[in-house]
Amino acid sequence: MAKKTVSQKALLSGNEALAYGAYEAGLGVACAYPGTPSTEILETLAGFKDVDAQWSVNEKVAYEVALGAAVAGVRSLFACKHVGLNVAMDPLMTSSYTGVNAGFVIVVADDPGMHSSQNEQDTRWVAIYSKMPMLEPSSPAEAKQFIQEAFNLSERFDTPVMVRMTTRVSHTKEDVALGERRVPPKPAFERNAPKYVMVPGHAYQRHVLVEKRLVKLKALAERSRFNRVERGNGKLGFITSGVAYQYLKDVYPDASYLKLGMSYPFCDDKIKAFAKTVKKLFVVEELDPFLEEHVRTLGVKFTAKDPSFRIGELTPESMPQIVAGRAKREKKVAKRPPRLCAGCPHWASFAALKKMDAYVAGDIGCYTLASLPPTSALHSCLCMGAGVTWHEGWRRGAPDNKKIVGVVGDSTFVHSGVTGLINAAYNKAKGVILVLDNSTTAMTGGQQHPATGLTIRNEPTRKLILEDLCRACGADNVDVVDPMDVKAFAEILEKRVNEDALSVIVSRHPCRLLKR
Amino acid sequence: MKDTVYSITFGGIGGQGVLKASEICGWAALYAGYHIKKSEVHGMAQRGGSVESHLRFGKKVYSPLIVTGGADFLVCFHHDEQPRLKAFLKKDGVDLTDLLDKAQAAIDNPRCLNTALVGVLAPKLPIREECWMKAIETVFKPAVVAENKKVFLTGREIGRP
Repeated sequence: MAKKTVSQKALLSGNEALAYGAYEAGLGVACAYPGTPSTEILETLAGFKDVDAQWSVNEKVAYEVALGAAVAGVRSLFACKHVGLNVAMDPLMTSSYTGVNAGFVIVVADDPGMHSSQNEQDTRWVAIYSKMPMLEPSSPAEAKQFIQEAFNLSERFDTPVMVRMTTRVSHTKEDVALGERRVPPKPAFERNAPKYVMVPGHAYQRHVLVEKRLVKLKALAERSRFNRVERGNGKLGFITSGVAYQYLKDVYPDASYLKLGMSYPFCDDKIKAFAKTVKKLFVVEELDPFLEEHVRTLGVKFTAKDPSFRIGELTPESMPQIVAGRAKREKKVAKRPPRLCAGCPHWASFAALKKMDAYVAGDIGCYTLASLPPTSALHSCLCMGAGVTWHEGWRRGAPDNKKIVGVVGDSTFVHSGVTGLINAAYNKAKGVILVLDNSTTAMTGGQQHPATGLTIRNEPTRKLILEDLCRACGADNVDVVDPMDVKAFAEILEKRVNEDALSVIVSRHPCRLLKR
Repeated sequence: MKDTVYSITFGGIGGQGVLKASEICGWAALYAGYHIKKSEVHGMAQRGGSVESHLRFGKKVYSPLIVTGGADFLVCFHHDEQPRLKAFLKKDGVDLTDLLDKAQAAIDNPRCLNTALVGVLAPKLPIREECWMKAIETVFKPAVVAENKKVFLTGREIGRP
């Protein structure tokens, strides 16, 4: 489990540091669905025997289980990537009203620059939308410190607390000091309908409390050391957060800084006071103009980055360009693109689809790489589960096209493809769904899921049988074929595509990277 | 400890052990008492794509990324990646790609290229031998520690001025 250490120090990534910090804060239950750049948080937590860690079926489930554990009295954590948080938005929004009992922390890892994502949404807006506090570490050492404080804040203000990471903070490693685990006294688990039964009458009263809580949190933001002033020579001042702070410090060591560790609520008085101490003020942040738009409402004079910098990741090179008021200069460097591994079973599945000239509704996983040359045989990637539902939508929108096929991975099918299949059967859709079953969550590094029959700790558990599940959903035909058996696979695909039925073909061959 | 920050860019393609190499250096710097920031990218990059890792260590380090023209050393695992990565080097930075073929030729097990290249780099950094050895013990499974220590020493001979 724990890494080897010297004088209680370890070289930890931001994600590992979060896990160690939560562990030391007495974390009891942790839930997540894998997603780059957040995956290592749960992988690290699973190494601690006294943490009840799980890969959940999807983010909504993970959020609810973890929140439930907090309500029942143990410190709990939910981790996800930015788009994963979208899946959990339903419980998230109302959990702002219910609040917690023991501390509950949401860790969300954004992916500026889309190293491994389908969009670069800026999760900081969710803090405003949900009226919940958000902390934003700028380094692994801060991540470890902030998550410990997040649990305290959660209990003190009876609210879930968000800790927003970015790829660059999650996947930077830093030497981090380790400490002892301290489990706080367990609060009582009590029935409390006005707090936990969110029917309109109760929810109205809770909303009143949420607004009061926000006022108190704002007062905290004003005096908190999360929002730190570093006095420089007063000529140049930066209001900044996250990894942008680190880039700026290298380039402008003599400037003044208001480094915001608490992204929300905003510390308006501190911002206004800081602005008065510097001659020229800049707001520098990655992605959206989140701080920029708020600071503008305060009547403070400042310069923000050119809008071209809202796209993609900031780098140390961006800093002088932003200060000079220039637009982003795109560097065109030819990087070797990722591709499916040699011998990957997906090659075989997509070779058959390419041969039949299929219109392929795709999904999210390694197989999304089949959209790239030389295969170029996957034609959509929207979100988890959309391989199944776009297949239905395309069939409804283009009823004469008999070459529409949906593909979805095994883990992705369990995550959110299954509801789409039930929908297709219920609404009398026809067509062919390929479940590309490589028996792991491959894209994120090979995590277990219900259909592998193993838990996050590789312990045997009840195994979900995908073909049985597909039959129960209402598919007319369910075949299980090895795509490496090229002839048999092509035959069954040809047969099913030409039938007037809803068919699932489980294309089953284990990932080459699986440890056997 | 001086205020100097050492910046090293490691690069290659997925599966070559680029991240492992920067991991060894990171732990060695940790054992030597430095503050460390090391950046890497996971996910898609593992699928045979370009992989790079930046390591910076010193008394106090801010940015985990090395600025263009800011690296003291370039440790490159693949000649194809060198033209792209050399932009990171300082004007007087040292490009160890020149020693890549020599390191490759000197080892029996191609999987140990990462440790060999760390060995090539080692004589140029202010980190004591015991720290390197401890780092290798930390990063590798016990079964392959001895082999990697040997490869490290082979690489170090190549890297000596």
